[in-house]
Amino acid sequence: MGFFARKLHELREYSDLASIGEIARRYFAMNAFDGVLTIIGVLMGNYAARIRDARVVIVTGFSTCIAMGISGLWGAYLTESAERKRDLNELENHTLTDLSQTKIGRASRVAVVVVALVDGLAPFLAALVVLLPFFFSGLLADIVFSYYASLGMALVVLFTVGAFLGKVSKQNLIISGVKMIGAGLVSILLSYFLGAE
Amino acid sequence: MGKVRRLVLDVLKPLDPTIIELAQQLSALSGVEAVNISIYEIDRRVENAKITIEGGDLSYESIDQVIQENGGTVHSIDEVAAGKIIIDDAVTPQD
Repeated sequence: MGFFARKLHELREYSDLASIGEIARRYFAMNAFDGVLTIIGVLMGNYAARIRDARVVIVTGFSTCIAMGISGLWGAYLTESAERKRDLNELENHTLTDLSQTKIGRASRVAVVVVALVDGLAPFLAALVVLLPFFFSGLLADIVFSYYASLGMALVVLFTVGAFLGKVSKQNLIISGVKMIGAGLVSILLSYFLGAE
Repeated sequence: MGKVRRLVLDVLKPLDPTIIELAQQLSALSGVEAVNISIYEIDRRVENAKITIEGGDLSYESIDQVIQENGGTVHSIDEVAAGKIIIDDAVTPQD
């Protein structure tokens, strides 16, 4: 078995042992959703404040992405490692042995890192994708089109996350996606009325 | 030194990894020909397993290592058979 095949096998084993897949899926959907709704807020805020300079939108949007990424990474690392330690301690109380150097202990540590990465990267990437049209705003006649494109992108990402959840729960992908879009539309409308004179 | 051919171990182990995985790993060890694991007591997080291993040349150290790696502990070695063939314990009048 080659090095990568062995590592992949180990990772799969750890994933089964520490239920990494299930938790990572939950964090991914929840935080990608959070990321998109937050960036919608930033975009609508910029739009309502009559910001027509793409650089300003990119800087505020990108720093929001970074903050969400760090928040997810840090928060999940601390909470997940606390929960995992507690769970391992409880198991050690049953087995009356130190499990830290066993497969179970390693799976627990790998789970913390994987879940923290998913938790940080999901909102960061989801929000960054929404922001992409502003990087190409020079190609568009008016920056307002970048706003429209970004909001459209946000709805597409929300639909994708919803469809992903629909696939997980083995329900209708379209209905699940549309439910997610609903949240985005409510957020856009409320922010729009906030900025309307 | 004679070769160990059968070992019966009393092991306390977490519910995960399952006994299927443990049996597969133990049977992959060199010198092991067959593994049987049966559960005789089950708790909320752990279970007691009777592990019977047979083979041409069993290494207790490597067997114990696999069990420990999977979070288990050998509570006792309940039976050993060593030599050229496997023999069961003889029935005596006291039995």
